Amino acid sequence: MSPDIVSQIIHHLFSIQTMVALVVGVVGGILVGSLPGLSATMAIALLIPITFGMDPVAGLTMLTAIYTAAMYGGSISAILIHTPGTPASAATSLDGYQMTLKGQGAKAIGISTISSMIGGMLSALALLFLAPPLSKVSLMFSAPEYFLIAIFGLTIIGSLASKSMIKGLTAGVIGLLIGAIGVDILTGYPRFTFGFPALETGVSLVPAMIGLFSLSQVMIQAENRGKNQGKKKALNIEGKVLPTWAEFKGIFATIIRSSGIGTFVGMLPGAGADIGSWVSYNEAKRFSKHKEKFGKGHIEGVAAPEAANNAVSGGALIPLLTLGIPGSAATAVLLGGLMIQGLIPGRELFTTHADITYSVIFGFIIANILMGIIGLLGAKYFVKVSVVSDAILAPIIITLCVVGSYAINNNVFDIWVMIIFGFIGYFIRKTGFHPAPIILGMVLGPIAERGFRQSVLMAKGDLLGFYFSRPITVVLMILVLIALFSPMIMNWWVKKGAGNFEESKSDGDVADNPAK
Amino acid sequence: MFQSILAVLLFLTTLVGCSTQDTATSSANPSEGPGSSQKIDYPTKPIKLIVSYAAGGGTDTGARMLTSYLEKELGVPVVVENKPGGSGWIGWGELAKAKTDGYTIGYVNAPAIFAGYIKPDSNRKENLESFEFIINHVVDVGVIAVRSDDNRFSTINDLIEYAKTNELTTSASGVGTENHLAALQLNEKLGTKLTSVQFGGTAESLTGVMGGHVDVLMAKVGEVMQAEKEGKLKILAVAKGERAAQFPDVPTIKEAVGADVEFYSLRGIAGPKGMDPLIVEKLQTAFENAMKNPEHVQKMSDLGLAIDGTKGEEYLQVLKDEEAIMLDFKDELGW
Repeated sequence: MSPDIVSQIIHHLFSIQTMVALVVGVVGGILVGSLPGLSATMAIALLIPITFGMDPVAGLTMLTAIYTAAMYGGSISAILIHTPGTPASAATSLDGYQMTLKGQGAKAIGISTISSMIGGMLSALALLFLAPPLSKVSLMFSAPEYFLIAIFGLTIIGSLASKSMIKGLTAGVIGLLIGAIGVDILTGYPRFTFGFPALETGVSLVPAMIGLFSLSQVMIQAENRGKNQGKKKALNIEGKVLPTWAEFKGIFATIIRSSGIGTFVGMLPGAGADIGSWVSYNEAKRFSKHKEKFGKGHIEGVAAPEAANNAVSGGALIPLLTLGIPGSAATAVLLGGLMIQGLIPGRELFTTHADITYSVIFGFIIANILMGIIGLLGAKYFVKVSVVSDAILAPIIITLCVVGSYAINNNVFDIWVMIIFGFIGYFIRKTGFHPAPIILGMVLGPIAERGFRQSVLMAKGDLLGFYFSRPITVVLMILVLIALFSPMIMNWWVKKGAGNFEESKSDGDVADNPAK
Repeated sequence: MFQSILAVLLFLTTLVGCSTQDTATSSANPSEGPGSSQKIDYPTKPIKLIVSYAAGGGTDTGARMLTSYLEKELGVPVVVENKPGGSGWIGWGELAKAKTDGYTIGYVNAPAIFAGYIKPDSNRKENLESFEFIINHVVDVGVIAVRSDDNRFSTINDLIEYAKTNELTTSASGVGTENHLAALQLNEKLGTKLTSVQFGGTAESLTGVMGGHVDVLMAKVGEVMQAEKEGKLKILAVAKGERAAQFPDVPTIKEAVGADVEFYSLRGIAGPKGMDPLIVEKLQTAFENAMKNPEHVQKMSDLGLAIDGTKGEEYLQVLKDEEAIMLDFKDELGW
């Protein structure tokens, strides 16, 4: 970058309009993200017409700020009231809400904020320095790779958020079956739509998730009302926001790994923030020294998905800006915003329009920092939500559930979907299942199915040859095999090598825990 | 929590406020409508414009680019409402059943709309007869392209000859979409062996071809312009009657191989059947003037979209011709 461009960037960024746009974008994004059903995609779409009249840098900075801030905002409601604000924060609710129940809500928010900020920053740096080479990588992924990434994500399903493996697998299979609803993309045949046109595109993920997590939560709390004052209320909400140095060191590796996963998943057009956060959660658990703590309020379980979903936002901008290929739903909308400003994605963005493009990227970095500051300062206020009486909170959450389900597609049908999934969520939770594997199945099932069937067509008859001729596919297959069999092999190895050990736990963490 | 909710409400109302304010200022000066020889009291309130796809998609962007000019013509706000889902039929179903008072109109995308009633298992009563076709806004012309370093083909004729003996994969965006139908037509008329790989959208199709996972890209002019400029894609043919302004050197399929195969999509404005002809006329004039606005024409051409303007009966006829192609391929589509 020449000094000329640097001065232009400073000139663009430190204008009043851009600064106001940044603050509005970050605050608005956090609010929109924290409300279930109101997503970054929707906020960007709503604001694009307003950016018509704005200076391109200010307009686009506002849109990207909203994008990253909404990713973070989703975690606040996921942590405090078990209501993921966006599908990308569903994984956060697993450990985040448990932390709130333990009175560590403020710390959970703090960790989420720090992880989100670092995730967003690292992905922004990748965008700044590595966009052209990384965009080549994103072109190397197609149907067979998507299939295997989805399978890889599904390998954790049995042990996810459930005490019993059978229950976890069952919930996962239910999710996969729900994911099969909708028009079969390869034949056009409507599967299990029962004549409802709204089901042709499948069960909408957002209303289903709101039902499974939020509505069922309200029902369970309503049921407990009067019985020993309901849920375990957060006892000590004045807890520290910032983690201790030791805690931070403990999650640092997780944050870095998850940021990498998030940036990478963000770059892929067929996979978005929801997948990025689940895969990171899974990997955090796989690599963790404290696997048993996951799902019970473990800080790594909050850090991983939050670093990842914000990293997705920067990652998704890479193919968008370099190739004009949006890496996620929100960036697909952003593409419209760019076009309207006369900025056609491609090499010209980094040459002819370099001043604008780099200003927006720096604006994105500042947005992540601002989001971190606002989040850390606000955490102790946000957390007060968890001590609000259920009698007040429940009606508000239900209202938000209904509004959010409708707003996602402007369709009343989705409200019914939300209510039905609310009941499903209630009954499965009463019987010891967890909604998380259902959501995971719904997200990954269609990607796996579509990826596999598209790859069959691409292979032109020689499927095995096709798969084994692609280096990335081979690596992914090996990873899947390791993920599936390593716990068994480790178990066997530990048992054989140290026969005097008591019956070891089946999830393979014995190697880290020889004293057991 | 209360505070944050209040803040959100405030935020949202300001948003809505801002956008209505914009339109209010632009509508302060209602035009006297050149074609108002017979007096009708229309429009007097905001008009709802249904877009059957999500915000930010091609149809939505095109619609929002037009509404600001349209509002100046009509003197009332025109509010885009996105009704995605059901392969477009959530929005179209609502449009067909809307009141015929002219305050609900919508974008109709062809050939996407045909599939929803031609396909037997969709059990839909609505068809072209359920709509009043007002004016077509955009023609989104198709192109056939390959990776620029794909040395097998330098012309469309190379590709066709090769595909007669070898299987080639082509990108498509759903069963019965225009790019799928084009592959079927080429197979039927020229004996090629093209297999359509159905992708979720343009982003995946572009990755598929630019990454070398699929052989042939069937996309729209606007979607390939930049990649062509940067030398990432080779455009082999344009799939419409005449050459595209953006690619003057690229032949049409017909002139290159002689087969009458076209693929494109139309995005036009329709209302429910039974609208007052005077209202229809008023809308046609307003849309026509808005579409001719040089600023709008320029913006659309930057996106690779051609402004059309075919109206009423003529527009319906174009749609019927398109519909006939899909009916011809019912068997191949498995319907």
